[in-house]
Amino acid sequence: MVKLRNIEKSFRHGLSQTFVLRRINVDIAEGQFVSIMGPSGAGKSTLLHILGMHDSAWTGEYWLGDEPIHQHSAKERMRLQKQHIGFVFQSYHLLDNLTVYENIDLPLSYRDVKKTDRQGMVADILDRFAIVGKKDLYPNQLSGGQQQLVAIARAVVAKPTLILADEPTGNLHSDQGREIMELFKRLNEGGTTIVQVTHSEVNATYGHRVIRLKDGWVLDEN
Amino acid sequence: MFQDLRHAVRSYLRTPGFTAVAVMTLALGVGGATAIFSVVDGILLRPLPYADASRIVRVARISATGTTDGAFSAGDFLDVKREAPSLVHVAGYREDISDVTGTGEPVRVPGVQTTAAFFEAFQVTPLVGRVYTAGDEGRGALAVISEGLWERQFGRRDDIVGTEIRVNGTPTEIVGVVPESVRHPIEADLWTLAPGEVPTSPIPSDGLADREVQYFAALARLAQGVTASDANAQLRALGERLGQQFPDTNRGESFHVRPLADSLVSDVRAGLLVLLGAVACVLLIACANVAGLMLARSLVRRRELAVRASLGASRWQLARQLMIESLVLAVAGGAAGIVLAVWGVDLLVALAPEGLPRLADVQLDWRVAATASLATTVVGLLAGLAPALQSSRPHLNEDLKDGGRTGTASRTRFRSGLVVAEVAVALVLLVGAGLMVTSLFRLRSVDPGFRTTSLAAVELPIPQSRYAGPAQGRFYSEVLARLRAHPATAMSALVFPLPLRGSNASADIEVEGQPATERPAQRLAELNMVSAEFFQTMGLRLMRGRGFSATDVDGQPPVVIINERLAAEFGDTDPIGRRINLGSWVTIVGVVSDARRQSLEAAPKPAVYLPYGQFVLPFMSVVVRTEGSPAAVASVVKAAVRELDPDLPVETVRTIEEIIETSTGQPRFRATILLAFASLALMLAAVGVYGLMSFSVSQRTSEMGVRLALGASPRQVGALVMRQGLLLAAAGVGLGLALALAVGRVIAGMLFETSATDPRLYAGLGALLLTIAALACYVPARRAMRVDPMRALRSE
Repeated sequence: MVKLRNIEKSFRHGLSQTFVLRRINVDIAEGQFVSIMGPSGAGKSTLLHILGMHDSAWTGEYWLGDEPIHQHSAKERMRLQKQHIGFVFQSYHLLDNLTVYENIDLPLSYRDVKKTDRQGMVADILDRFAIVGKKDLYPNQLSGGQQQLVAIARAVVAKPTLILADEPTGNLHSDQGREIMELFKRLNEGGTTIVQVTHSEVNATYGHRVIRLKDGWVLDEN
Repeated sequence: MFQDLRHAVRSYLRTPGFTAVAVMTLALGVGGATAIFSVVDGILLRPLPYADASRIVRVARISATGTTDGAFSAGDFLDVKREAPSLVHVAGYREDISDVTGTGEPVRVPGVQTTAAFFEAFQVTPLVGRVYTAGDEGRGALAVISEGLWERQFGRRDDIVGTEIRVNGTPTEIVGVVPESVRHPIEADLWTLAPGEVPTSPIPSDGLADREVQYFAALARLAQGVTASDANAQLRALGERLGQQFPDTNRGESFHVRPLADSLVSDVRAGLLVLLGAVACVLLIACANVAGLMLARSLVRRRELAVRASLGASRWQLARQLMIESLVLAVAGGAAGIVLAVWGVDLLVALAPEGLPRLADVQLDWRVAATASLATTVVGLLAGLAPALQSSRPHLNEDLKDGGRTGTASRTRFRSGLVVAEVAVALVLLVGAGLMVTSLFRLRSVDPGFRTTSLAAVELPIPQSRYAGPAQGRFYSEVLARLRAHPATAMSALVFPLPLRGSNASADIEVEGQPATERPAQRLAELNMVSAEFFQTMGLRLMRGRGFSATDVDGQPPVVIINERLAAEFGDTDPIGRRINLGSWVTIVGVVSDARRQSLEAAPKPAVYLPYGQFVLPFMSVVVRTEGSPAAVASVVKAAVRELDPDLPVETVRTIEEIIETSTGQPRFRATILLAFASLALMLAAVGVYGLMSFSVSQRTSEMGVRLALGASPRQVGALVMRQGLLLAAAGVGLGLALALAVGRVIAGMLFETSATDPRLYAGLGALLLTIAALACYVPARRAMRVDPMRALRSE
């Protein structure tokens, strides 16, 4: 599903150049649950944001299915991102001014889904995530775990084929973290490809593979 | 779209502080600009409400001394009318008290006596009946009334045309009614047709050939295709010819025309433009404040925008969201601004000084309200939109991570620049207001030369048609005798013109024994007709010679008293017993102290006082020195007049202090409005400084935490914030002082005995602004001092 070839990202400082990612070659098959691990500054989040098409300043080849992302314009990348990718952040990033319902509805509204269809889709997700009773609450009225639950609901509502999660349990205590990881596992079993960045060896065990990065290089894969 | 709107409204409701400040800032800017511009538009810019109004001109006489006093004599007027083909419908007019009877209670209405072509010059279409025209010349006894008078006095009767009324006792036929928009050059309710080719003269003259008694104004319409400069060339040539033909009266004199709309507002134009400049400054500060607020808001929201982008929002969708938010703010601010503008226009009209021309043409200008709202919206929009458009993909990652705390330096610099500009503009306004207020204060402290306390006055004009020749003097003597018999008005006197009411009477004089100066440089002296008790009543001191006595009447040798200013022109010679020529020779019998007559601004000029027993006019005023109230004086004056002439209305009795208050109306109006704008600007600038420093502290919370953790004292952290804010304010004050010096030069002409570069004023106001800025910085500085290092670092 994802094929990365010789992906590199660097910053120039005067005459010198600092590499954040070096010669990244990775293949991720459809339906896989992959964990990216490594010490701070290894380039994990950078790689995730390149996969999420939030970052376009890199070189190399990035194939998403049959689509050569590296050749696409920003507009085309935007279209593919909307179509295929859902993102989950460590600090949830729910919008404070919107209710749970509106937060989940937001990605659909950006995809120009008709209002009647959106209502059905959001209701379905609220039901699946068992948060119907919280749909009119604002984020600050929820616990951290509940907020991340809503964030994941928001990430999956548009039915992405690939979920990218940046340390999704980093701000949660262990019980809440476990629930979230169980949820990812269920989503993965339902067919969604998942790539997570994590520091936790325990969380990595929920997936099929671990890619370890260090200083921008892929250290090993298993 | 509707969803964006809903979210925008909700986000504003959830930040009531921000919303209130932004909406009020917008409202004050939009409201102030709209109100002042509406006044300026109504008075200066909007054309007069007549067909082809730019062709209506005032025709004025330029005297030999270069003053354009405008008044015409019969002879000059008729020459202009006959010999200037560039002008058509040349009409003469003069204000006339008009006592209307025959319609129930006698009423006094503002009236104008005009020659026949008056309405043709304006091309007025009457509401009812007709207006008199050139074809009616010489008929007299015809009147046109205003719609207001038709309503008040005649209940909009259908049969008004042909109704006979008595105007000042003369039977007069109403031929038509004109709409309320006809109120130029003088607001009037009644226009009467002069019985001859010129308006009737208030003083004896040589009829149509007279060139010495100048007593009425003239206007005309430029002939089709003729410009004002064409007409002026023709009038100059005519003036030269008349100067050669009648050297005694016309040498050095000329005539000129000026668009009526310009001539009506020439005295107030500069003052109103200064106010317009001031309000533009307030609008600028409001725009800068709104831009600053929106910028701060969008910086705080960078993380939210990044999240939206990561969820699939396109740039257009983000921009649309921000645009809708700006529009919501603009609509709220604009609506509040229009409410303020409606009040503001009413307030300005209420505050406007007596005599401000075309005040009735002032109305709320919706185009300006819309333009001002749009301007502030666009500014807010651009300031808020820029960060959205900059949240391009490569930075999304950083924005998501740090919530927009990094990469804000350039925008903070921009916002700092806005605050410096706001402070500078506020200082310019403060200096402008400070200069105007100082000038007003100095003007009000001027000693007019007479005692202003316990002095009341009432103008007592009488209709010439009923009081001709000696009857005028008899009437005033009778009134004076009755007033002096009453204890409340025992010290009373007669005078024309009443000081500080703007009336003018002057004459060229020639001193006996001194070579007669060649025209046009003859000596000009103010003329005053007074009763014997005038000097004592007003508190003028007799310096030499004697005052007037009851024997200074017609048939006795003509005498005058002069003021010290004129006496000084005699040098070491005693003026008592010398004669001066005012058209005929009169003997100087006394010298009195100087007093200001025309206005408080104008220094006393050479003046001549004539006894009213020898020279009476039908416009005398009564002055009364009294410990009683104006109301008590009024009842005595009314009773005295009623005994003599029950049909003669008495005007309002006013204290001299009220008259002085009115005479300083224009500078007071300017100073009040400027002071209001300057206070507003000061407040907005303080909000700007506070907003920036508050935002800066919130952005630097973690830095403050680190500093405190590293051992800085709270005082040091507070000083950091204060220093940052005060440096910006000081930069603004420096820039403002430079700008204020330039602006000071522009308004220097409006100042009375006040230097436009007074260093104490500049320094004092600069210090005031810095103090306000320090107060505005203090609250954020206190917040910075109370930062808990643990929490600050954890939030990072």
